[in-house]
Amino acid sequence: MITVLYFGRLSDVGTSGPMVLPGGVVDTDGLTTFLSNNDAALEQAFARAGNRVAVNQNMITDNTPIKTGDEIAFMSPLSGG
Amino acid sequence: MSVLITSTPFDPEAAHLDFRKSAGNVGAITAFTGLVRGDRDIVLSLSHYAGMTETEITKIGEAAAARWPITSWRIIHRVGDLQAGEPIVFVAAASAHRRASFEAADFLMDYLKSEAPFWKQETHNHTSQWIEPRAQDKDDIARWQKPIKQKD
Repeated sequence: MITVLYFGRLSDVGTSGPMVLPGGVVDTDGLTTFLSNNDAALEQAFARAGNRVAVNQNMITDNTPIKTGDEIAFMSPLSGG
Repeated sequence: MSVLITSTPFDPEAAHLDFRKSAGNVGAITAFTGLVRGDRDIVLSLSHYAGMTETEITKIGEAAAARWPITSWRIIHRVGDLQAGEPIVFVAAASAHRRASFEAADFLMDYLKSEAPFWKQETHNHTSQWIEPRAQDKDDIARWQKPIKQKD
């Protein structure tokens, strides 16, 4: 299992929670593609500019390997405080 | 040197006093309190990524401490539902001389307003919309990308 979290605008379309790591998915780009293929609203939301991704609470800028047990967060542009 | 993200209201004057007591023998403290602006009918809802938000804000506090000779700093930030007039953020920095504490607190606020991992939603008449940083907030943080001449 992995934990997928959605924040900000992305939380309007994605449901945070545990999911089975899909077969063949080994990195964040693969997960994004898998989730987009299964949900048109999410696909649209992922296509907006400025989204960020974190793996195990570390913000990433490049495609990053993922494995069972990881926490992957999809974040819409940060609003600031 | 601490970050507190809280869903309960806080008292900025008490926070200032606590900070001053813990700051020890310093010559200057700059403390800033941000209040929610706007209409009383609007509810501002802030969410954060528990753990990561604290980590990211701690990093920027440490960056401020590396850049200016501040001896301590503190950031308190509200999350949850807030209304106009409520304190939303408290930032304080202590140093031997005033300039470092002024600049560090200013830098920390500019960071918090544009780059901190918070998501804001405004609800008015049962209609909600997500809020993203204003262009001014982005210009404010850009000021710190340029080297600044250090003076006391």
